[in-house]
Amino acid sequence: MTVHPGDLLTPALAREIAESGIGVYAVTSPASVAAALAARELGAPDLALATGFTALDAEPIPSVTLGEEGLFAAGAAFVDDPFDTFVLLARGHVGVAVAPAQLDAAGRTNLSGAGPPGHPKVALPGARGLPDNNASPSRIWYLLPAHGPRQLVEHVDVVCGAVPPAGAIRRLLTPAGCFELRPSGWHALWLTPDGAELVAGAPGLGIQCNGEEPIVSEPDEAALAAVERADPHGVRLIEFSAGGEAAERFQQAAAREAGG
Amino acid sequence: MSFEELVGDIPDGATVGLGGAGLQRKPMAAARALARAGRRDLTLVSFLGSLDVELLLAAGCVRALHSAGVALDGAGLAPRYRAGRQEQTIEFVEWSEGTLLCAVQATARGVPSLPTWTGLDTDLPQLNPGVREAVDPFTGERVTQVRALALDVAILHVPAVDARGNAYVEGDFAIDGALARAAQRVYVCHERTVNADPRRAVLSRLWVDALVPAPGGAWPTGCHPDYKADLGVVSRWAAEGARGGIELLAEPVR
Repeated sequence: MTVHPGDLLTPALAREIAESGIGVYAVTSPASVAAALAARELGAPDLALATGFTALDAEPIPSVTLGEEGLFAAGAAFVDDPFDTFVLLARGHVGVAVAPAQLDAAGRTNLSGAGPPGHPKVALPGARGLPDNNASPSRIWYLLPAHGPRQLVEHVDVVCGAVPPAGAIRRLLTPAGCFELRPSGWHALWLTPDGAELVAGAPGLGIQCNGEEPIVSEPDEAALAAVERADPHGVRLIEFSAGGEAAERFQQAAAREAGG
Repeated sequence: MSFEELVGDIPDGATVGLGGAGLQRKPMAAARALARAGRRDLTLVSFLGSLDVELLLAAGCVRALHSAGVALDGAGLAPRYRAGRQEQTIEFVEWSEGTLLCAVQATARGVPSLPTWTGLDTDLPQLNPGVREAVDPFTGERVTQVRALALDVAILHVPAVDARGNAYVEGDFAIDGALARAAQRVYVCHERTVNADPRRAVLSRLWVDALVPAPGGAWPTGCHPDYKADLGVVSRWAAEGARGGIELLAEPVR
């Protein structure tokens, strides 16, 4: 893929959100904010944006900051009970994009750790909202910066998010393409030019391809333009980067945040 | 109230709820005061923790930690928290966001536990003795029963209070309101005192025991609209925090 994965997947998420029919989108990261703001331009002008737990209908500040917590600075329309977040989830009214460290063949998720439950060889942030949102009928997108055998497995090490309920829509966006969880497992909706090879390299997930999936090599032009208006500095690309590139992008964003 | 008085109210072994979430509105000045006073064996409850947890872990104040997650946002993983879990030097009690909210709400409501729909078929019951699968006595449905989590104190940081003690926040209040209702004593650190319409308050003075003036007291986390998180310090902590460097989290130079 020549285009940066973040510039392919963020517009793809924006289009997904715009066409999903959801009323509330819970922003969780720079890319998810950019995608949500773009989704408003792409056909969902009334989409409510929830930031944090008591600002369910907020107006995020125009510049994208460094993540969910940065967006707490958004001007909230009013303050809700934090339990409202879970009411909306239970009623299927919310959409949210999450980035679990592991996702498995049945749609389980893990952000707790690598290794046995309670004895992590590598401790990760913690379950966060994965048990809550994966068990809900609300629409969940898994937005992963890499498509590899460490992230995409047959069974997660720690079950944070359970197998999604029947009928709940779960889609996965990775540098390999877009995939949907169905009763028979994960199915490819479209692939990137490298997608088939990446899918073959992570067999644990059991993605089924029929060989007729569209190949998407360029971002959705209108969606990318909307994303760039929402995130002109490309902060979204931090979450699709690793190592030195991620550190450099973070430092650049930090300098901007500090007014430098 | 001063920080010295606040710390005097919190003995070793206390269960301390820390407000805010992620890199926003963390009561860092209060955490520094606890560290300076050499408090030990604290049980922290930090809904979504960051440098609050890191500072107190680095200072050796913590015996146990209840949280749905601890991280440094875009800067990556929290080094002390990570080491504490991997080396089993702290008792980590893992919650989801929804179950932790239920646990403090149960305390606030005066019931021993509450049922919820989240957490079924996960490993949470293995990771947390306060989360258990149960059967609803009325419908026979499977539910997750969450045990009440009581706090000795809750320490919040907000941008503003009024003279009567009502608290004002712009943006997200996370689960601070629930923490306040679950705690025996509630301390509200604040940037400034304002004249404001109490109907716009996010927390009534009825839940507040003491106000602690603390301009800049959330640094290096942010406190909108007064200041943003100091991402330079966050980034340095992510890189250096595992090997010491607690001075990085000392008082800011302003």
